[in-house]
Amino acid sequence: MAEVGTTVDLRNRRLGLSAGERIRVLLIEDDPGDAFLVQELLAEADAPFDVQVAQTMREARPLLREVHCVLLDLGLPDASGLDGLRQVLQDAGRVAVCVLTGLEDEHLGTAAVAEGAQDYLVKGTVDGTGLSRAVRYAVERKRADEQARLLRESELRQAESARLERGLLPKPIMAGVEADLWSIYRPGRDRGLLGGDFFDAIGADGTHLHLLIGDVCGHGVDEAPLGVALRVAWRALVLAGVPEDHILDSLEQVLVSERRSDELFATVAVATVNLAEGTARIRLAGHPPPIVIAGDRVEPCAVRPGLVLGVMPGVPRPATEIRLGDPGWQLLLYTDGLIEGGAAPDAPGGERLGIEGIVEVLRDRGGALPRDLPAWLAAQAEGHNGGPLSDDIAVLLLDPRSTA
Amino acid sequence: MELSLSTYDSGDHTVLEVGGEVDVYTAPRLREKLVELVETGARHVVVDLSRVEFLDSTGLGVLVGALKRLRAVNGTFGLVCAHERLLKIFRITALDRVFSLYDSVAAATAAVGSDAEPTA
Repeated sequence: MAEVGTTVDLRNRRLGLSAGERIRVLLIEDDPGDAFLVQELLAEADAPFDVQVAQTMREARPLLREVHCVLLDLGLPDASGLDGLRQVLQDAGRVAVCVLTGLEDEHLGTAAVAEGAQDYLVKGTVDGTGLSRAVRYAVERKRADEQARLLRESELRQAESARLERGLLPKPIMAGVEADLWSIYRPGRDRGLLGGDFFDAIGADGTHLHLLIGDVCGHGVDEAPLGVALRVAWRALVLAGVPEDHILDSLEQVLVSERRSDELFATVAVATVNLAEGTARIRLAGHPPPIVIAGDRVEPCAVRPGLVLGVMPGVPRPATEIRLGDPGWQLLLYTDGLIEGGAAPDAPGGERLGIEGIVEVLRDRGGALPRDLPAWLAAQAEGHNGGPLSDDIAVLLLDPRSTA
Repeated sequence: MELSLSTYDSGDHTVLEVGGEVDVYTAPRLREKLVELVETGARHVVVDLSRVEFLDSTGLGVLVGALKRLRAVNGTFGLVCAHERLLKIFRITALDRVFSLYDSVAAATAAVGSDAEPTA
């Protein structure tokens, strides 16, 4: 029922070399004789290398991020043995490293590769061609490792998003209620992970439907897990038969006890819809009001705003009884991502679409089918914004099945 | 659109002028600035939102955080917000009942420190 797309774009992460680019090599070697020799060998290979030399780790440090490959002597005055390698990898995890060892400490070379160097060379046993090949291979191998690492990260993020998605967007419990629910969830631009929008629906006794939509506001990674917690808490409260008057208070207590930062709060709209009578009792906690759609009539429900959850626990949020109309109505719930985009691509002064704007859009919905309406609305909001919206969007449309 | 921040003193009050867009990307800078003001001893803080084009929920969170921080040290926190577009956000979230909103810096600095009624 929900469309969720999360992609991680690897295109902008430039790794390795582009065609024709010269390879920048930093040689860290304290012995001037050895340094001269390595430079001569690289020159002899007639390969496209630019070589810089640093005699100490301190001298090398500012240059590490500027180069493709480090040739590292393991006997520096300010970093001996593998310590030098560890410092390089810590300061510049993306640079390829070839260590240089003497004949007597070749074992250090294997240990260096185990710790993250791409290769090792024993001084005095390699010619220009061998050295230049080792440098190129090291750069290529590092690039391949980095790509694999990024891919693994992106796979992990997608798996994480899929888990959260299941948590945020459940299968509604319709319990014999004759209605369809159509929904979409779109993560905002620039996000690898889902944000904190959530919704749910629970039917009761064939005529009542409890609806929830909400949005955890705050920073980044904490939002989605908190959204899952709030949705599940709401479901448990409703299933346990807790009186409606107490549900938002209890939800707020869950939020306050589960959040990790005082600046995290949540906006929520809850509705108990009586499908037989065409009425709804709606409470808002800082959330924009649901919109009733019935033919030409498109209007936000006139519900008194209630305070967002998590700011001042204990403030009452009384319900407003709304008449939805004769059969043929639909009820639209959404999160603020839908209305916070620009009013037009070139709107002056950052004017936003707003509730009025989305009502206008709905008046021109033409023959859009209920099942397509959430996705159509999101596309319209993006069109007005002139591109993808920065915030997440969740849209939920309640569409009672006509028995006529 | 960038976020602009500048402060000046007005009697007992520290006025923080905010301009541009306060959103998920720029809100951390606003938070830092407000934390810094309280840490360096400001107790009567007025945030002038007159030149803010857009304020999203992350930005609201930062303002709520600042309000709590100042209450914890017996300070005061006022917001100057005259534009309908921004007032609408405070009404939807009902945060207009939590913050002291004023329609000018003069009104805010005159009221802060007393329990005078907000004017906006």
